[in-house]
Amino acid sequence: MESRVVNKGQISELLDKLAKDYNLIAPIKEETMTLFRRVSGAQDVLLDYNNSDISPKGCFLPQNEKTFSYMYTGDTLEINKPEGVQKTVLFGARPCDIKAILTFDPVFEGVKFGDEYYSNKRKSTVIIGLSCSKVLSTCFCYAMGGGPCDGTGSDLLLTEIGDKYYVEVNTEKGKALVDAYSQIFSSQGAEQLAKDKEELAKKLSGEFVRKVDLTGVKEVLDGNFELPYWDGDNAKKCIGCGTCTYVCPTCHCFDIFDYPTGDFTGDRLRCWDSCMFPEYTLEAGGHNPRPTRKERIRNRFMHKIKYHLDRYNMVGCVGCGRCVNKCPVNIDITKIINDLKEVAQNV
Amino acid sequence: MMDVIQQLREQAKKLLEEKKVDLVIGFGQGTELARTTPVFIDSPEGVSKLTWGPFCANNLAKYLTDYKNAPGNIAVVVKGCDSRSINRLLDDNQISRDKVVIIGVPCSGQLEWQKVSAEIKPGASLKEVVDNGDSVSVKTDAGDYKFDKKDYLLHRCLVCENPNPVVSDLTIGKEQPVKNYEDRFAEVQALEQMSTEEKNAYWDKQFSRCLRCYACRNVCSVCTCQTCVFDQMLPMWVSKRTNLSENTAFHLTRAFHVAGRCVDCGECDRVCPMDIPLRKLNQKIHKDLGDLFESPTPGTKPGLVSPLGEFSPGDPEEFM
Amino acid sequence: MLKRLLEYVGFEPGRFQARWISGSEGAKFTTTIKDMTEKIKSLGPNKKMRDDIL
Repeated sequence: MESRVVNKGQISELLDKLAKDYNLIAPIKEETMTLFRRVSGAQDVLLDYNNSDISPKGCFLPQNEKTFSYMYTGDTLEINKPEGVQKTVLFGARPCDIKAILTFDPVFEGVKFGDEYYSNKRKSTVIIGLSCSKVLSTCFCYAMGGGPCDGTGSDLLLTEIGDKYYVEVNTEKGKALVDAYSQIFSSQGAEQLAKDKEELAKKLSGEFVRKVDLTGVKEVLDGNFELPYWDGDNAKKCIGCGTCTYVCPTCHCFDIFDYPTGDFTGDRLRCWDSCMFPEYTLEAGGHNPRPTRKERIRNRFMHKIKYHLDRYNMVGCVGCGRCVNKCPVNIDITKIINDLKEVAQNV
Repeated sequence: MMDVIQQLREQAKKLLEEKKVDLVIGFGQGTELARTTPVFIDSPEGVSKLTWGPFCANNLAKYLTDYKNAPGNIAVVVKGCDSRSINRLLDDNQISRDKVVIIGVPCSGQLEWQKVSAEIKPGASLKEVVDNGDSVSVKTDAGDYKFDKKDYLLHRCLVCENPNPVVSDLTIGKEQPVKNYEDRFAEVQALEQMSTEEKNAYWDKQFSRCLRCYACRNVCSVCTCQTCVFDQMLPMWVSKRTNLSENTAFHLTRAFHVAGRCVDCGECDRVCPMDIPLRKLNQKIHKDLGDLFESPTPGTKPGLVSPLGEFSPGDPEEFM
Repeated sequence: MLKRLLEYVGFEPGRFQARWISGSEGAKFTTTIKDMTEKIKSLGPNKKMRDDIL
């Protein structure tokens, strides 16, 4: 693996160049929120932030996406797909959010069914990750196989060390970008910074306060769909909003519907949907296989810690802590995992 | 605060033991030091889960409608603001008074847990919380912290109309004085002063952030429709697209649908994951209801009729 | 109340109007509609809540 060094003073130059040559998506501050948005240059980009309020999953799966527009002229049906995607750079994504994108890949780029809307964006996007400099009380990526300085899935991973960024080149895509801006990426001093990064990773990994351990949890869920545990407080206190699913970097459910713009014209859209909503599983005949919040909560957490593992051998949670932070009633996936471990003792 | 928790547990235990209620809904310790979570207790042994303090932001009256058709009685722990919801739910015939035991706890303000958490050493565990009037002392095993209320209170608690419950069957803890840290409608007035363009830009920015997770609607204690217009598929009044137009339609409809019933508990504002200042919409309505109809905050008294729900010959007639 | 709320979120004053006109008030109906049309024309096309796709 190759590595490079960028002086902090040159990061603005890099961002300005990227914004000129690419569609640049980077973290910005909007009032109290940290969000990923398209930026026109370095001036808006936030480099010092803990984690964004919403993950950058929208780069690959936008909350609203037009899949095609249709026009019926009386005897012919005309279908128009949107123009090709732009070359994009996703800058400043945290390791957990990049790992989350890896959990999307087998879903949208599966062997049987590919999703061109997703894979086109995925192909034309370079992901520049940014290691965390701080561990929050809600973070638990270490328990989900990640880490605050884990570059898995990124094309380039930047780690802030002193007045420099240590750059790990993880893919060909990343290499091409580094070569294109070779006046900014130097290799001087990279060896020392590599050691410093190891130190930082070690230091940060000792700062997690949430104790989470997945061992044995899937096993108990495998044979026990109907655990009395799911009837407990979580189902009672959940208010059934979609906050956890919309802030989740790995939640990827969507709904497809037509939006007519005239009698014979319209758009077919794809929008985020949430398994926490009752209509999510409501069938046309009126039957709902997940009629109450108990079934819906069970589904969400089973998806994270069982179904995704069953299907793709990946945990469906990356430990970003957003749902823990944002849930209005403090439903906490780490508590659920720990509770289930306790349940496992008695099954 | 420890004696309030003790009394709370004793009273809850008594209610459950004497079979006066089948369920007690209260606050329990959450998964962060400065956070609580709703707990549902159905046996006398469970009462040790109950807690109280300046981190009990949730309005638990919300849950009463979940048990509307369930057999048995329910006790619920409410703050002053939450108790307004109870009056409102009673007036809307959403709950019956004889099925609910209201445990009122006077409240001296709730702190914003994220702000408090940011100050406290991660992983610390809570020892004691002491209310000093204008500040709160939080004692932990990793040291003691002091939080000034004017900096750490939830925004809605900076102005409080009812620190003491307006309706309750039993009250625990001593009465709290009314204390306001700012003018109730100052922010609404500031917005009103803006030009049309400025107002437009301000709200467009807020609404465009909306994710349409519906947390604001779902947490609202007076949102009691069986099927919400926003969940309806046929006809689809508001589509699932999250764009500025649909989001604006959602927020205006939500705010106006609770006009005259909103008890100003501020939960919508607290739960918004995108920090949209939803309460500024509801407060505008509160202000206008006051200005035009001299209407008090809904729920402050039992049997208050919303001015939008009745006709009086003295009503202002701007549309004649 | 609604008018005030709409103006509060940035609709131009006068964009939304409500009048009570009885079936026997033909003249009032005419003048109201005339005034309303004039007012709306002077405001120009509405820009708020335009249904732009995505």
